[in-house]
Amino acid sequence: MKRAVAAGALALLSLSIGCGGRQESGAAPAPRPTRTPRVKPVLGFLDESREGPAVDGGTLRRRLDGEPTTLNAVLQSSAPEAQVLQYVQRNLFDFDARLNLVASLAEGCEVSPDGLAYTVTLRPNAVWEDGRPVLARDAVFTIQKIVDPKIPSNVFKPLFDDFASVEEVDARRFRVHFRKAYAFRMMAFVFPLLPEHRFAGKNFLKAPDNRAPLSDGPYRVVAWKGQESVELERNPLAWGDRGHFDRIIFRILPDNTTAYRLLTGGDLEVDQLDPGLTRRAAADPEFGSCCRLVEFYNLDYNYIALNNRSPLFADARVRRAVTMLLDRASIVRNLYRGAARIVSGPWAPDSPAYDPSVAPLPFDPAKAVRLFEEAGWRDTNGNGIRDRDGREFEFDLLVSAGSETGRQIDEMLSAELARVGVTARVRAVEWAAFIEKVDGGQFEAASLAWSAVDPNPDPYPYWHSSQCPPNGINDGCYASPEADRLMEEARREMDPGKRTVLLHRLHRIFRDDAPAVFVVNAAQRYGFQRRVRGLVTSPLGFFGIWPGPLGWWQAPAGGTGSP
Amino acid sequence: MIGYILRRLLLAIPTLFGICVIVFLLLHLAPGSPTAGGPDTLRRSSGRAAEEMRRLYALDRPLPEQFARWIGRVVRLDLGESFVDHRPVSRRIREALPHTLVLNGFALLLAFGLAVPLGVLAGGKPEGVFDRLSGTALFALYSLPTFWAALLLQTLFSVKLRWLPLYGVSADAPGAGLDAVVDRLAHLALPVTCLTYGTLAFVARLVRSGVAEARASDYVLAARARGASRVQALWRHALRNALLPLITLFGLLLPALLSGSVIVERIFAWPGLGRLYFDSILARDYPVIMGLSLVAAVAMLAATLVADIALAAADPRVRDGAVG
Repeated sequence: MKRAVAAGALALLSLSIGCGGRQESGAAPAPRPTRTPRVKPVLGFLDESREGPAVDGGTLRRRLDGEPTTLNAVLQSSAPEAQVLQYVQRNLFDFDARLNLVASLAEGCEVSPDGLAYTVTLRPNAVWEDGRPVLARDAVFTIQKIVDPKIPSNVFKPLFDDFASVEEVDARRFRVHFRKAYAFRMMAFVFPLLPEHRFAGKNFLKAPDNRAPLSDGPYRVVAWKGQESVELERNPLAWGDRGHFDRIIFRILPDNTTAYRLLTGGDLEVDQLDPGLTRRAAADPEFGSCCRLVEFYNLDYNYIALNNRSPLFADARVRRAVTMLLDRASIVRNLYRGAARIVSGPWAPDSPAYDPSVAPLPFDPAKAVRLFEEAGWRDTNGNGIRDRDGREFEFDLLVSAGSETGRQIDEMLSAELARVGVTARVRAVEWAAFIEKVDGGQFEAASLAWSAVDPNPDPYPYWHSSQCPPNGINDGCYASPEADRLMEEARREMDPGKRTVLLHRLHRIFRDDAPAVFVVNAAQRYGFQRRVRGLVTSPLGFFGIWPGPLGWWQAPAGGTGSP
Repeated sequence: MIGYILRRLLLAIPTLFGICVIVFLLLHLAPGSPTAGGPDTLRRSSGRAAEEMRRLYALDRPLPEQFARWIGRVVRLDLGESFVDHRPVSRRIREALPHTLVLNGFALLLAFGLAVPLGVLAGGKPEGVFDRLSGTALFALYSLPTFWAALLLQTLFSVKLRWLPLYGVSADAPGAGLDAVVDRLAHLALPVTCLTYGTLAFVARLVRSGVAEARASDYVLAARARGASRVQALWRHALRNALLPLITLFGLLLPALLSGSVIVERIFAWPGLGRLYFDSILARDYPVIMGLSLVAAVAMLAATLVADIALAAADPRVRDGAVG
């Protein structure tokens, strides 16, 4: 049920800061420090960046759950590539742990008064691993590749939807022109560059650099053994943040249990834990003696998409009724053991677009029944199932095979629906088939999870009526003239404060229109060797931020003390 | 004999073509598309971007044209390029093949090497103590699910006793010479065990019934009458005849050398063909799936052919066309 799309939080503060060209700090950005957890995991923001002094050296062994498909930053498409490339390629701008945009490979950025042209200046000391400087022509080359129809750059292409042209201003400055002004445009500049000189005269899709990229970051790739491991070492020509470990080894381990055993056996420093392994870790003395559990909330949430084009769900009263039949408080208690938060709209609570005053619809079966009746769904033929105009209220509730939590949520909803005379058949469908149905709008209801790649809260691509399949990924084809107008306005509004007001108004509409059943924002769980310090969590997780895992270090064996 | 082999080889061509057509159709008619990406995808392409990808991979062309292009490349021994990483399919297969060959080769040899003596001992005295005990034990083994056995073996030998490595093909620094060999064997031990016990149980029971049947036949009685000892009669006369169905079975099991095992390879993080196949199917990486299916089909046909030839060599009746 994992759905991977850009989701939303901040961006609101970010424009001003991002374009201001903040200087590289060297140390982590250090917002509100909290104490390191001792016994129980802390749920929430964790910042150990001020603990220390940090020790350099040692090897960090991490896990990838699949083989990277490439190490070409433009061609990256899935999580394993992003996790490796974060160490190797610098982005123009990065998000810090508070989701502020900070200058990284870029020194700063100027926006033209009409909001159509962005002039970015690169850092003068930025060099590639071969000693050549990082130049504006590298940026021009990279952007041209991203927008090239023959290059599958799925991660970055959507950021350049309104792209018009790009030009080199001088050796260190380039300018990108867009056809439309867009309030969240700065998000487009969180991407890495490729060295043009390495791709000259080569087929971009098959260049040797795609397996052995030229680094402009703190580490470089030493070895990539297919289906086994990727090894990094320090880039001798690194500039800026350097990281504390001497080597990083990514082990490619598809099986969660095997990875957990490596963690408790001391052969991995960190691994993400699924719900089953989290329960196991809590009772496992071996885990307790070597490791600590870190839990925090990010911007992901799950929801049940309803096809607003279907006669079953076209009426907002029906969609509200379905939401009121899902006992989300019980889901939080029983499925997530308290480590989840109910969401009332298409953002996680840590997104500034989320208005905490918009209370979720309550679990209220009696009210739901009244809403069904008002919408004309009654059991007229006495078969126990509600019907209207000769159509019974029954549908398939799809879930991606292998999504245990998604299936459990669906079963709970299905059981409640059955009590009020609605039949929902839970059907597990293999991922590729599942997503084809969902993105094609060929479904009645489907359980999905939203994974945030960046904090862009713009709801337009996912909820605007112009984005119904096959044009876009408003999969349930929600269409509301008022919401459409507000979404368009939010995209144009350059004032962060006013934009937040617009998004908060939208949030209320989303709650009341219930275009989908918004479920919960669940905690992320990681197991860490106790010796690993300097952790900073963020709403983008550990890895989507800068310096993120570069701030981690390892306490020397022996005198580790707490935690 | 040579005519027989040639005839069989010629017959293999239409069979292969048929297999390719069926796999191709199944792939393209099955729901899902390579443009969506796997569940790990950071951003799914949609609308225009998805359209561009379909054009890039020629998925917007009619099916017969796509198939003709593929077959056209295959006859020039080119399996095409992966949609996922744009590397030649043959290269991806070549990287994973040795790992799967080693793993399954050991498993198959071990299974047959243990199954034959076990089967002969059990079949030599049907309903005897050894037969009953080994029968029960083998039946239990046969019904043991691999994923469960794998986790159990890991817990015992890697976590508790720490005798054997938990996963992988070799250690980070395997050393040189004998150390490297020992390291490789240690890494092989658990996955090979997982792949062996099921086949072992199955083959051992087959040998046992063959031997038990042959033991009661007239020619074994005649051998005994001519003064052959019980052991001689069993191993020299009964076993030889019981081996004939084993040759056919071996031929059927041989292609498994290439097909890999998804479950075992995932649990032990073994970089073999099973994982490649599984990942490719999830990502709908058509060229890789077609390439692997073709390799598997060729292996299947070749193994059947080899088994038939071996059978003909071993059994004069097959050779002379009296049977089969």
